[in-house]
Amino acid sequence: MKNEYIPYPEIIESIQKESFDTKTFKVAFEDKAQALSFNYKPGQFMQVSLLGVGEAPISIASSPSWKGFLEFTIRAIGKLTRAICQLNPGDRIYIRGPYGNSFPLEEVSAFGGSLPAPAGKRQSGSSGGKGRDLYFIAGGIGLPPLRSLINSVFDRREDFGRIKILYGAKTPDELCFKEEFKTWNKMANTEVLLTVDKLEKDWKGNVGVVTTLWDKTDMTTTCGVAYVCGPPIMIRFVIEKLLQSGFKDEDIYVTLERYMKCGIGKCGHCNIAEKLVCIDGPVFSYSQLKKFPEKERAIA
Amino acid sequence: MKERLLKKDDLIDLCTKASEQWETYVPLEDIGRDAHFIKLNGKNKGLLLDRLNLDYESLLVPPKVIAFPQLESLFKFQDGKIIETFKPSVKRLLFGLRACDVKGILFMDDFYKRNFEDIYYLNRSMDKLLVIVGCKSPHENCFCTSTKTGPFLPLPGSPERAKFAEFDLQLVDVGNEYVVEIGSKKGEEFISSYSKFFDDASKDDIEHKKQAKRHAEEAVSLKLDFEKAVKKFCEDKVSRRMYERIAERCIYCGGCLYVCPTCSCFNVFDERKSDLGRRCRNWDACVFDGYTREASGNNPRFEKWNRTSRRYEHKLKYDYLVTGMSGCVGCGRCLSSCPVNIGISQVIEEVTKA
Repeated sequence: MKNEYIPYPEIIESIQKESFDTKTFKVAFEDKAQALSFNYKPGQFMQVSLLGVGEAPISIASSPSWKGFLEFTIRAIGKLTRAICQLNPGDRIYIRGPYGNSFPLEEVSAFGGSLPAPAGKRQSGSSGGKGRDLYFIAGGIGLPPLRSLINSVFDRREDFGRIKILYGAKTPDELCFKEEFKTWNKMANTEVLLTVDKLEKDWKGNVGVVTTLWDKTDMTTTCGVAYVCGPPIMIRFVIEKLLQSGFKDEDIYVTLERYMKCGIGKCGHCNIAEKLVCIDGPVFSYSQLKKFPEKERAIA
Repeated sequence: MKERLLKKDDLIDLCTKASEQWETYVPLEDIGRDAHFIKLNGKNKGLLLDRLNLDYESLLVPPKVIAFPQLESLFKFQDGKIIETFKPSVKRLLFGLRACDVKGILFMDDFYKRNFEDIYYLNRSMDKLLVIVGCKSPHENCFCTSTKTGPFLPLPGSPERAKFAEFDLQLVDVGNEYVVEIGSKKGEEFISSYSKFFDDASKDDIEHKKQAKRHAEEAVSLKLDFEKAVKKFCEDKVSRRMYERIAERCIYCGGCLYVCPTCSCFNVFDERKSDLGRRCRNWDACVFDGYTREASGNNPRFEKWNRTSRRYEHKLKYDYLVTGMSGCVGCGRCLSSCPVNIGISQVIEEVTKA
């Protein structure tokens, strides 16, 4: 029987400042064999800790195809995350995992999975087959888990249709992965739309919550798949908009945040009705979410 | 398997002898009506056994504490190095459990085996012998006949046998002796190892056993329509108003959950003094407002009634949906321990009266 509670040490290789309170940590595996064999899926999380400070679940922000290291984007907001944000390259950090389910991707690509794309969208058998349109909608620190998925999708761009990335933050400074937007925008048939809540001097983009981006682009769909992560209130309004735009309940995937202690379905903290976010989630489809009793507040 | 007979006069000798081979736990009396399940330690075994009491009403703390202590170290660390503190377990004899508590133990075992295995819990729980001593004089808050978890568990092969009911031996008080029912091969082996303490039970003994079981069942005075309650919970027919009324009175101390035989929630935290430290876990309770509060400040269950609803629905709805068994074993500890006199039995009464 494996002792799941024992974390292993890794070294912080580099740190990228994302905003005034958020940093992306590139964590390299010390063990070369582990570096090559370590696998995870977009949407999964790790239990990240500092000895003597504490442990918390953090989404993996890097893509599984990037071998040898992991990236975590961490906002200094609690005891542990503030301590982590004080660290420097070369410092040690402790991790265990990966835990949780992941974003379904095979199911929506042109060539994989058991769920076929709706008729008309799939050109049977030809190499020119086109997968479904993907929509990523994130708010603030909600982009990191989606970034893992976005970059995996770009590894096999031809398997999917149109891609739209809608991302909002409170201020321009608080937008994560600013440099990456340019790369994403250059990908074929891909659109990145940004918005901020508060107008600041040198910001030329959209101002307003993320749902205001619906006025800036055509979001109507018959076969779109949406992946959503952000604060609870954002999730609620985004789902409303998605449904209005023609997305089906089972094609809207949300990754949830809950207070968590063990990550392996034992401590109980992340319960929603009979489910545990760490085991049954963190990714849930809207058709699952809407079945939860209202008082469980699965979404705001 | 044929029943055996164990003289009450031989109890202390049997426990002493067994404790040489097994890490043995027995119920000892404490102040007033309290009893505790205590490990028999080498030196003061005799002193402890003077307080052996198999007629206790209810253990103050459920026996889950043996495999799931209130506080434990997961590992230590020094100078950035992790030192594993995990010790492989020994075989354990839990002698003198109540049927409801056995149900609780098996429920917890199942939970800690599900999905990821919890090595700390399972290590302490895997190799054990469960010896039930059926209740003779139940506590007034008990309602095990309603939850079908006591005062005795049905034998293997019996049509009443439900989930989480596997015991090794079951003792029925028939006066100066106990009639011993054998529930498993392990139980049978235990009897052969200590055969000098066990005689064959006569026809009369079996008759007395049946009477004793009947009397014990009649002695449980609190009767509830448990099935109806579970059905109402599962069908979401419990009003928010009821939770709000409980919330007005509940002081959210978490006591009822600490003493619940099937409550398994814990918190994890680090302690350190200079370079030496440890990561620990301790019991936690879903009624605390910090239980679901995230670092961002968002708290999906910030309202008291919402936490109360979780507390009861977990036991009477979600446990049932996941395992097919409710998480309530009818032990009545939640009511006994409550400073403001709220128990799950009253909630069940309230829900079923309408």
